[in-house]
Amino acid sequence: MSYLKIENMEIAFQSMKGKFVAVKDINLDIEKGQIVSIIGHSGCGKSTIMNSIAGMTFPTKGRVILNGGEIKGPGPDRGIVFQNYSLLPWLTVYENIFQAVDAALRDLSKAEKKETVERYLRMVNLFDHREKYPKQISGGMKQRVAIARAFAIDPDVLLLDEPFGALDALTKAALHIELLKLWNLTQRSKTIVMVTHDIEEAIFLSDRIVVMNNGPAATIREIEEVHLPRPRNKKDTVNQPEYIAIRERLLSLLIEKVSIDEKDFYKEEAAA
Amino acid sequence: MKKSITLTTSLTTDLAGDEPSVNRLTPALARLFEVIKSLGYTLVGFTLLTGLWFLISKITEGGLPTPVATFQVFWELVKDPFYDYGPNDKGIGLQLISSLGRVSLGFLLGSLFAIPVGVLMGANTFCKKVFYPIVQILKPVSPLAWFPIGLVAFESASMATIFIIFITSLWPTLINTAFGVASIPDDHKNVAKAFGFSKWKYLTKVLIPFSLPHIITGLRLSIGVAWLVIVAGEMLSGGIGIGFFVWDSWNALSLEKVISAILIIGLVGLLLDRGFSFVEKKVTYSI
Repeated sequence: MSYLKIENMEIAFQSMKGKFVAVKDINLDIEKGQIVSIIGHSGCGKSTIMNSIAGMTFPTKGRVILNGGEIKGPGPDRGIVFQNYSLLPWLTVYENIFQAVDAALRDLSKAEKKETVERYLRMVNLFDHREKYPKQISGGMKQRVAIARAFAIDPDVLLLDEPFGALDALTKAALHIELLKLWNLTQRSKTIVMVTHDIEEAIFLSDRIVVMNNGPAATIREIEEVHLPRPRNKKDTVNQPEYIAIRERLLSLLIEKVSIDEKDFYKEEAAA
Repeated sequence: MKKSITLTTSLTTDLAGDEPSVNRLTPALARLFEVIKSLGYTLVGFTLLTGLWFLISKITEGGLPTPVATFQVFWELVKDPFYDYGPNDKGIGLQLISSLGRVSLGFLLGSLFAIPVGVLMGANTFCKKVFYPIVQILKPVSPLAWFPIGLVAFESASMATIFIIFITSLWPTLINTAFGVASIPDDHKNVAKAFGFSKWKYLTKVLIPFSLPHIITGLRLSIGVAWLVIVAGEMLSGGIGIGFFVWDSWNALSLEKVISAILIIGLVGLLLDRGFSFVEKKVTYSI
């Protein structure tokens, strides 16, 4: 049996207009230590699947099983990096990580907790900024704090919800490396599930890519395997034939129309 | 203090043979200029008010005392604020201290009650549904209406005054606290959920830090209304206090004293408000 398993899952919400099915017939098996991306258009239920693993929302049908046990709620065995950093603005960088460590790793002594926080601050190169508040650091740094916070509680599974969506391309590339570095430093033992809408990001980071259909009642359209060798290097990876092939494949799956022709211009003019 | 610092800096620059640092002084001068300007506006406003006051006292032929006569009385009052010639003749300072004491006690008790209940109302839908209708019905009632109940309950006019200040202080704090707590973003709640924050950690690291600016705003509004109500309350209760002083002055037919008291009440109210607005700025974090 696989490490993280989603079985025939359906998630529906009660809305004013009645039952709204976000995702259905979701079946997914993830091995320990794998990096898996879920990709799709906005509103296709990517985050819903993520939340079901996090234990924040519950399946209306089927179940989610982690390490042999059904997920009943949030727990310190899963670390989450939220879409919008979600740092607490009144706490310093250090305190933001410390409070999470303090809550999740109750058995550690105070000194051990401090040591853990400082170790992860050094790993993401933020040790010198530990006394700053979130508003005093850049978006990229905030996301590094969020990643360090998720890693610091030493979870088995890391859940990343569009973690780099709000960042510019250069910062994003640097953070991809940062993420893989942390993953390597923990002996690639941590399973990472990431939601994204960035095709290049998904290929560069993942072992498998789950492509979603459009919602409502979204399903899994296809699962792509990525066999690019690790450690991956941005410059070399993007030129490999496999990378290009997967990129083409994903583009055609996600974007119906990849070019515009002359007629589109005339139409727009007529409309204006 | 400030003078000596400027002196030493100018001395050292002179000794170093540098050009006098005119540029470094400019921001300070600009700030000073701003202060003088705003003081100027205030002065213009009060001159206009005093002019109008003078005009009305002329038209009414002394029905309203003139500004000069009033300021003489005002000066008499503030010159010796702490004299005590028996129960019906005490200095304005003693009256103020007595009123401030009652307001503080009533406000403190009210806040100690309103903040926790506000937190409950904001955090828990059940509590909100139970308490909100009560708040809605009692909030529009003038706190003075509670005076008889205070009298019955405590059998003391002074305690009854504190009781109405207690009631007054409840509503703005209650409503603002509940609003602050209810508007904690899901993002913050999710962090607490995802990392398994205990109830206590959630309270001290998420709920209170987020709602504190709202709570302080509530307290600021409460103390403002409490200061409004104390004057009326003490007119009812008698004995001592700034409200009693206003009523007593009216009975002694000294409108000069009444107007002086109005000015003093206004100044104290302004100071209370400024104090809370200072705290408000201190606890407001920016994102």
